[in-house]
Amino acid sequence: MLEPDTIEPGLPTGPKGAADETRVPTLSKVAAGETRLPALRRIALSPSLALALTIGIFVLYGLTQTSEFASGAVWINIVRDASFTAIIASFEAIVIIGGGIDLSVGSIFAAGAMVSAALASQGLSPFIAFAAGTMTGAGVGLVNGLIVNYFSIPAIIVTLGTMFGVSSLVVHFSQGQPIAPLPNSFAYIGQNDLFGVPYIIYVAVVIAVIAYLLLHATTLGWNVRALGANREAARSSGIRVRALSISLYVYCGAAAAFAGGLEAARLGAGSPDFGTGLELTVIAAAIIGGTSIYGGLGTIPGAALGSLLLSVLATGLILLNIDPTLQDLATGVVLILAAGLDQVRRRQMFRTSARRAHAAENG
Amino acid sequence: MLANSEIDKEESSSSLPVLEVSNGWKSFGHVTALRDVKLQAYPGETLAILGDNGAGKSTLVKVLAGVHNLDAGELRINGKMVDRTSPLLAKRNGISTVFQDLAVIETLDIAANMFLGQQLRRGRIFANRRRMFTEAAESLAALGVRVPSVRAQLGELSGGQRQGVAIARAVREDNPIVLMDEPTAALGVRETAHVGQIIRELTRRGKCVILVSHDLEFVLEFSDRLLVLRLGRVQGARSTASANQQEVVAMITGLVGSDEAKARS
Repeated sequence: MLEPDTIEPGLPTGPKGAADETRVPTLSKVAAGETRLPALRRIALSPSLALALTIGIFVLYGLTQTSEFASGAVWINIVRDASFTAIIASFEAIVIIGGGIDLSVGSIFAAGAMVSAALASQGLSPFIAFAAGTMTGAGVGLVNGLIVNYFSIPAIIVTLGTMFGVSSLVVHFSQGQPIAPLPNSFAYIGQNDLFGVPYIIYVAVVIAVIAYLLLHATTLGWNVRALGANREAARSSGIRVRALSISLYVYCGAAAAFAGGLEAARLGAGSPDFGTGLELTVIAAAIIGGTSIYGGLGTIPGAALGSLLLSVLATGLILLNIDPTLQDLATGVVLILAAGLDQVRRRQMFRTSARRAHAAENG
Repeated sequence: MLANSEIDKEESSSSLPVLEVSNGWKSFGHVTALRDVKLQAYPGETLAILGDNGAGKSTLVKVLAGVHNLDAGELRINGKMVDRTSPLLAKRNGISTVFQDLAVIETLDIAANMFLGQQLRRGRIFANRRRMFTEAAESLAALGVRVPSVRAQLGELSGGQRQGVAIARAVREDNPIVLMDEPTAALGVRETAHVGQIIRELTRRGKCVILVSHDLEFVLEFSDRLLVLRLGRVQGARSTASANQQEVVAMITGLVGSDEAKARS
């Protein structure tokens, strides 16, 4: 930072380097130590670790208050509730990391549930019912993506619009009536266990792993982070930013609709008021999990842990006999703390830049 | 070697231009950034584009890099007409660019930045991070760009290091045409000279380098030909070896009229 002396022409360091060395010797030593431990520093600042610790501390405290925190059945419920949020939050996180946001997931959740339920109740196979519901969500996602990318309307407005629109269509076509009962073949996946663990949880784990691989292991995932952090630079580098951005809304819509189908299967009924307010829970889970609302940064394990934390809080506060009306207060506090952590992380990243650059020059 | 050649290649028929703009016009709203611009660049030479602020240098580079399409006029790459372009198409047509704003992603590590938009793959869809780390480190070392680690986030680097990464990325792509928009803006004297050596090496390997820079001394030392723009128009083209600094400055500032105007009068 002091001198941009970084392209080394292979000449011996001149007196300038030596002067730097004597001017701030302690600083450069600190920096040299830091460059050796970037992994540790990153883990210490990772939101996933902070989340895991928060959940752990809350549960430990809960255990000292009531033995119900040790009950397997309670935990199965907590994790099953978290599963629905996590399925959607994984892909919502990818949309946000890619520089967008999707507020329509709650409405898409209801649409997916109703389409799946309607087809299942007509006697179609569960596979077709789920596929059609999921495709409906993908279709809404495609509409979101196309409008956001071709009409340059901010994603928050477009998806707010489709949130209202889709919700209205769901009520219109269902006449506001739930669809029930649903055949057992369809409800099976939502109501049965394997080794004492609901299928829903396995399904959520598989979907989260798919999202994880997509974001963390594929070339698409790296392009998504570039897109969200600096769309112009991503485009200049030859990334097809429009197609990429559109695809993210499609994945997110599909995930939300599929989760809606699962909910219909779990309850044995589809209802047009499914998913009310779900978009906010999902976005909160993603942000609590360390997804930066500014785009570019975030992880899937974080989004999954964020979903788990919200679910643990929801059940835990009831177990602790705390007035349930205060539950959203806890969610709000955690959300703001998480966003604050994101700010600290960004600032930390750029503060160390000066020291690092210096270390590189002298080291 | 073609560098320092006295021949003005626009008149030589020995090789065809790899990059050619004729009658290029480009406007942004009410501002006309390029007016009837003509440019020809040949393999194995460095063509410097000079001009004051607002002369249209960056716009011209962005047209060549595929960021902007011309409103009117022709862009030819290797003699082939390009109707509609994009950064992706420009890259596929063999053009690498060091953008003025560097086009890097601060939240990604150096290796991811080096392979931005063209990651190495494992299988069809997976990113081969390990190979990108190794190859990024090799490319940077080969060019003498010193960074703490290719795993360091770009946002942690100094301006000079970032510039080094952006240049190394363009060089690594090994394309026949390299555009550099103010590649030495964040660099000190030593590093600027080093970039000059990199440019010489590129032209020695037969590549065409198009260089935009404010640094007149640097341009006069490391380019083969000069193209001077003023207020979106071409003021004139010179062979660097035969150009003298006063005349070039006069052309940039408009103290002397354009070559075309002189020819008319």
